[in-house]
Amino acid sequence: MAAFTWKIGGEAGFGIMGSGLLFGKVFTRTGYYAHIYSEYPSLIKGGHNTTLVRLSDKPVYLPPYTSDLVVALDKFAVEAHIPHLSQNGGLIYDSKDADLSNVQIPESVQLYDVPLLELAQKAGGDMLMRNTVAIGASLALLNYPLDQFNDIIRETFGKKGGAIIDININAAKNGYDYIKSKYDISKFPFKFAPNPNAQHKLVMTGNEAISAGAIQAGVKFFSAYPMTPASSILHYMASKELEHNIVVKHCEDEIAAMNMAIGASFAGVRSMTSTSGGGFSLKTEALGMAAMTETPVVVVLSQRTGPSTGMPTWTEQADLRFAIHASQGDFLRVVVAPGDVAEAFTLTQKAFNLAEKYQIPVIILSDKFLSESYSSVDKSELKVLPIERGKLITEDMPPLKPQEKFKRYEFTDDGVSPRPLPGIIGGEHVSSSYEHWENTFSTEHFETRKKMVDKRARKITLLEKELDPPTVHGPKDAELTLVCWGSHKHIVFEAVDRLNAEGIKVNALHFAFVHPLPPSAYEMLKSAKKLVIVENNSTAQFGGYLKEHAGVAFAGSILRYDGRQLFVDDVYSSTKSILEGKAKDIAIVDKEPVEFYTASFVR
Amino acid sequence: MMVSIGDLTTKEIPQWCPGCGNFNIISAVKAALAKVGAETHNTVVVSGIGCSGKSPHYLRTYGFEALHGRVLPVATGIKLANRKLTVIGMGGDGDGYGIGLNHLIHTCRRNINMTYIVHNNGIYGLTTGQASPTTIKGTKTKSTPHGVIEQPIHPLALAITSDATFVARVYTGNLPHMINVLTEAIKHRGFALVDALQLCPSWNKVNTPEWYKTRIYDINKEGHDVTDKMKAYEKALEDVNTGYAKVPIGVFYQVQRPTYDDELPQVSKQELVEQDMRHIDLSKTLKEFE
Repeated sequence: MAAFTWKIGGEAGFGIMGSGLLFGKVFTRTGYYAHIYSEYPSLIKGGHNTTLVRLSDKPVYLPPYTSDLVVALDKFAVEAHIPHLSQNGGLIYDSKDADLSNVQIPESVQLYDVPLLELAQKAGGDMLMRNTVAIGASLALLNYPLDQFNDIIRETFGKKGGAIIDININAAKNGYDYIKSKYDISKFPFKFAPNPNAQHKLVMTGNEAISAGAIQAGVKFFSAYPMTPASSILHYMASKELEHNIVVKHCEDEIAAMNMAIGASFAGVRSMTSTSGGGFSLKTEALGMAAMTETPVVVVLSQRTGPSTGMPTWTEQADLRFAIHASQGDFLRVVVAPGDVAEAFTLTQKAFNLAEKYQIPVIILSDKFLSESYSSVDKSELKVLPIERGKLITEDMPPLKPQEKFKRYEFTDDGVSPRPLPGIIGGEHVSSSYEHWENTFSTEHFETRKKMVDKRARKITLLEKELDPPTVHGPKDAELTLVCWGSHKHIVFEAVDRLNAEGIKVNALHFAFVHPLPPSAYEMLKSAKKLVIVENNSTAQFGGYLKEHAGVAFAGSILRYDGRQLFVDDVYSSTKSILEGKAKDIAIVDKEPVEFYTASFVR
Repeated sequence: MMVSIGDLTTKEIPQWCPGCGNFNIISAVKAALAKVGAETHNTVVVSGIGCSGKSPHYLRTYGFEALHGRVLPVATGIKLANRKLTVIGMGGDGDGYGIGLNHLIHTCRRNINMTYIVHNNGIYGLTTGQASPTTIKGTKTKSTPHGVIEQPIHPLALAITSDATFVARVYTGNLPHMINVLTEAIKHRGFALVDALQLCPSWNKVNTPEWYKTRIYDINKEGHDVTDKMKAYEKALEDVNTGYAKVPIGVFYQVQRPTYDDELPQVSKQELVEQDMRHIDLSKTLKEFE
């Protein structure tokens, strides 16, 4: 079965994003995979929101450009989304809200005029229930029973009591029956059949996967300041603080959040903080303190467009170099950029293990696209890693010999020194942001300074052996290799599949561990016949990093920095252009009606 | 096992100038820790950057020498992770009332159960003599050669309005008083701010021992009611910066209210640091994503 994409668009405040999740879950409970992607402007109230739900019997990780069935809750939604309808696609709208007489609609588009508000009101509902009617109508077109959706309504509104459940169930039924009675659904080319015995898949955002991974890893202290698109980590952690005994602190600022996390970690608990680029700017001084004091800490940096406030609700991968270089001085840190929800869950656990084993800061680099999009995963994909705490000295170990100050920064072969937790007799020491002797007193002794820099740096020898190699996707002997990282994994992988299906032999190399580079990466890069970098920023930051560290050259670049992530179509057609010698460095941009982005049409 | 002052002493030679008020602050902290029966391994001293920042090195306890202005968030993280630790924060007036002032206000209202001693010498000492937030208006310093224009900050008044539960001032020239107040501050259940008027013979030539001698008086000897918030506030504004001839010291304000961690069910049974993190069952949590 080919993938199918459903899109709902309308004014903010009408539950657009929530509808997408409900619609997607109908299918992820009956054997299908879903990816749910939302776009919304950074407006306090109003603006046009859209949610795309892509469904398939194979895993799906991204939205396509085109949709197969659009629910347009107002006239603007019709105008904005008609150009993105696939051949023979359908449009559900309410002619009472959207007069289409002046709208150009291609003949291939199948129109379904459904009195959304009237059917909602008939069920006892209001404007907000139009989505439910539309979902019922959509399921009818797909010839999909309402049972699953009814179950989801009962669960979602269960706490609110019986009446609201009945209204929603009736609203969905009204939409469903309306389509079945007025239209010949066999003309709509997409059909689904439920597998009621299928195991329910999990539907999570990247932020939820990071949060769940952190909880699995034993995080006990989480401090943050809200910032889109990282805020939902704070919300999720806070919602679970009692269930999993985690102290979750919304701090006065990002500086406090970072310093608190470091303090809690010094005292012996696993701690994490999360933010976006602006907040990470404020955290950078303490990031260096974590490195100098050798205190483990995990920082989530979910990128949005920059610089400065940028476009808060849109996506970019332009903080990579910032993450790699943030804070003064040379020091070791790990930057890991998960490529999907399953990786986000597992690599967050790994981030905690690496932070504690090597006593370093670890940055998890996400972005709006990964952080806020939902993906379905099989539970088995969420791998649980054993907890490794490294050279921690805890109470259950033999007592330490009393001494003036414990050699917290003892020179060791692997660069990692034993770390007694406050409370351990004989472990008294100062974790110091100043350069220090082994026994933690401050020093400006040149030889010791150099030895300390070297000690902290040589942790990399053992550390880099633990970094997962980049993932290769596609034929080994490809003519061209697309290099990508983080959230763009499946976008590039899917483009590679499409190109190979046409006999164009390309492959992809995806990096989750972007800094330091996994040792195997060098050979993998050098053995590629031709490299093209694919990134969601304007300067090919990772490409430049690879040039510097692996000595490779790129035959071209496929970049995008207009606020959206790349789409498969972008990578597919750009790769073709590069292969045909028509272009070398390509920057993608979307042309949407200008009202799409402004408050001017709020009504 | 209770510590003695000797147990708390390190061999490290303090870097402070002769006559610096920090010597007495460290002596008072040691004496107060001994009096409250603290243990070296269960005590953490957190400092920022500045002359006061060196303090943890001269105390044989656990310590964290953090960044300029960030004493309180680091100390908060430590305390919430393990409430069995006695946590003492130390910073200067630049650190606590300048760059880190934001954290002071929020730590007051949170009522984190810890002591915060501000080494308030009215000048930046480590960076060789620039105006601080408590430098008296008009004072000429390296960064204000024509005199400070701003009004100085009123830290005790600020702490009282921010609902700190223990607000006191000491003077480094009066060691016995300082020991008594610090002992009460450490014993206090909640956030205790101790503003320590500190002599800086190298850089502060205005607030000298002679200057203090004629101005300091102990409000607790005058029957001040420490539970009266408005009276405490009035006293907190009563200093040479607001036209008074005298500088009051003592405990200005002390009340009891639940500490931040008192209201965290997450730690009511077990410290965070003691909780099992190796057998976390996520099945119920993950089910919600179905």
